[in-house]
Amino acid sequence: MSHSVELDHVGVTFGTTRAVDDVSFTVEGGEFFSILGPSGCGKTTLLRVIAGFLNPTEGRILIGGQDMTPLGPNQRPTAMIFQSLALFPLMPVWENIAFGLEARGVSKAERRKKADELLKLIALEGYGDRMPGELSGGQRQRVAIARALAVEPQVLLLDEPLSALDLKLRQHMRAELRALQKRTGVTFIYITHDQSEALAMSDRVAVMSAGVVQQVGAPRELYDNPATPFVATFVGETNALSCTVKGIDNGIATVETAHGTLTGRAGDGLTGGVAAKLYVRPEALKPKGGANRLAATIERIDFEGAFALAHGVAEDGTPLVASIASTELASAPAIGEKSGFGFESTNAVVLPDV
Amino acid sequence: MSAADRIARALFGFYMVAFFLYLFAPLAIMGIATFNTSRFPTVTPWRGTTLQWFDALWSDSGMWQSLWTSFIVAFFVVITVLPIGTAAALVLTSLHARARSFMYAVMVSPLLTPGVVIGIATLVLWRQLGVGGGVFLIVVAQASFIICYVMLMITARLQRFDPTQEEAALGLGASKFMVFRRVLLPFLKPALIAAGFLAVLQSIENYNTTLFVRGFDTPLTVYIATKVRTGLTPAVNALALIMIAITVFGAIAYEIARRRGADGGGVAVQL
Repeated sequence: MSHSVELDHVGVTFGTTRAVDDVSFTVEGGEFFSILGPSGCGKTTLLRVIAGFLNPTEGRILIGGQDMTPLGPNQRPTAMIFQSLALFPLMPVWENIAFGLEARGVSKAERRKKADELLKLIALEGYGDRMPGELSGGQRQRVAIARALAVEPQVLLLDEPLSALDLKLRQHMRAELRALQKRTGVTFIYITHDQSEALAMSDRVAVMSAGVVQQVGAPRELYDNPATPFVATFVGETNALSCTVKGIDNGIATVETAHGTLTGRAGDGLTGGVAAKLYVRPEALKPKGGANRLAATIERIDFEGAFALAHGVAEDGTPLVASIASTELASAPAIGEKSGFGFESTNAVVLPDV
Repeated sequence: MSAADRIARALFGFYMVAFFLYLFAPLAIMGIATFNTSRFPTVTPWRGTTLQWFDALWSDSGMWQSLWTSFIVAFFVVITVLPIGTAAALVLTSLHARARSFMYAVMVSPLLTPGVVIGIATLVLWRQLGVGGGVFLIVVAQASFIICYVMLMITARLQRFDPTQEEAALGLGASKFMVFRRVLLPFLKPALIAAGFLAVLQSIENYNTTLFVRGFDTPLTVYIATKVRTGLTPAVNALALIMIAITVFGAIAYEIARRRGADGGGVAVQL
């Protein structure tokens, strides 16, 4: 089992800017863990703190239960894959991959052997003597991964390594990374601003905003039970309806909205009488049925392939989005038509406004 | 094509011709004068074509002695300025903005100081310490300003260094020294080679600083200058022609090597 990574009240301040604010969570050994957030939320700063490139202003980093805070990046059992990859352009591929072994004083023959093994692992056999500049983006990506794995790290840190690739390649590399992680059992900490990437690949995800961790949970948990309005809106598409809480009964909140009285699951910290928002996913809105009904005039329908997104406006001007499976497009409401949508209380969540 | 275009084009052509004439006419005349039988380096009057001045050059032992002295000086200048200039560039790029501009001003000041002043100052200082003029002082005096060129060239290259490469290397467990040896130094190599060449040229062609610190040693520039007084012959032109030829062939060879794909890109630009 690989080492766990524990962040203990980590904070980072640059001058007057609070980049990371009191972050604590534990990544289990062997887990694929993502840190998800918009650019500038402090996720890269956090990763650099874990790697040891940056000293936290306060707090501690523990890897495998040992305090890493005083150690430099070359003394930690971590390896990092950079957004720019940072391959050494003047070294052939095999020397790139074996660089970490060279630093550990491994003999040249041994290094070459290990590099060739890793090249086989990343399906680039025979590419050892090429220069990084002669490889394609996806190949360079794989070399960067092999270079990091060569030092047999306990923890692999990945800083948006797929962001420079085109969509098809990105999807392919996602699957490869995931498979590699399962095969090696190394703890992965993966930084991304792409929520679909985080949801698809991770065992657990930490959602960050403005230097603060909003929620840590499994992808399904984040999607179904967002703990904060930020998580509700950042992870996946959602409809947000302003409301006032009338009462909470057995975990179900009854709220007053511009569309009448609606019900949804009560989120954490929700109390009666407060201003709140009811969040409901586009795919939870159905043309027929549902305990709660909404009406909207359809403005446009965006065809996305597997599904279409119907964008409508409610009478009070609230925009609404419903997703319609492609197979049911024939019976979809026409543009300009006033149409009703329903949802079940269990598919909506009510969170207090912050 | 309109008349205005044609005039503009003609003016541009005229300018280019004038520009290259200005650059190369003196060299051409100097080269041609080598083959004139006249005892003085001139093309008019043409007294007959000859190769005798190459013979004269060959048998001028004083000239060869001084050329050798120049090479020795250049060699020691290069091995002095490359490490120190590189170190200075590394310090400079690692400093924060305000400290950097101050250090920059300090470090390039020898370039703005007249060479004569550097020569005299060096001599005065080392005299106090009991060291007189000679090859050693020539090296010291020349290095004090040639270091600036090296520092500027290495700094220019360093500014294009991707610092995440250093982080990547450290993250893989490399020591600082290994980062320098395996990552930074190979990256700086083209700039170091270019700086080395520049240092050699600067050293060999220097006269005004060298004159004051030479003691009893006579490098080439000083020798030629002395000859001007005692009677300059086209043998000097022959020497210049040979040096130009070597330079041109060197440049061509370098360009061919560069085009064969080695990473030397951008060095010529930095010069």
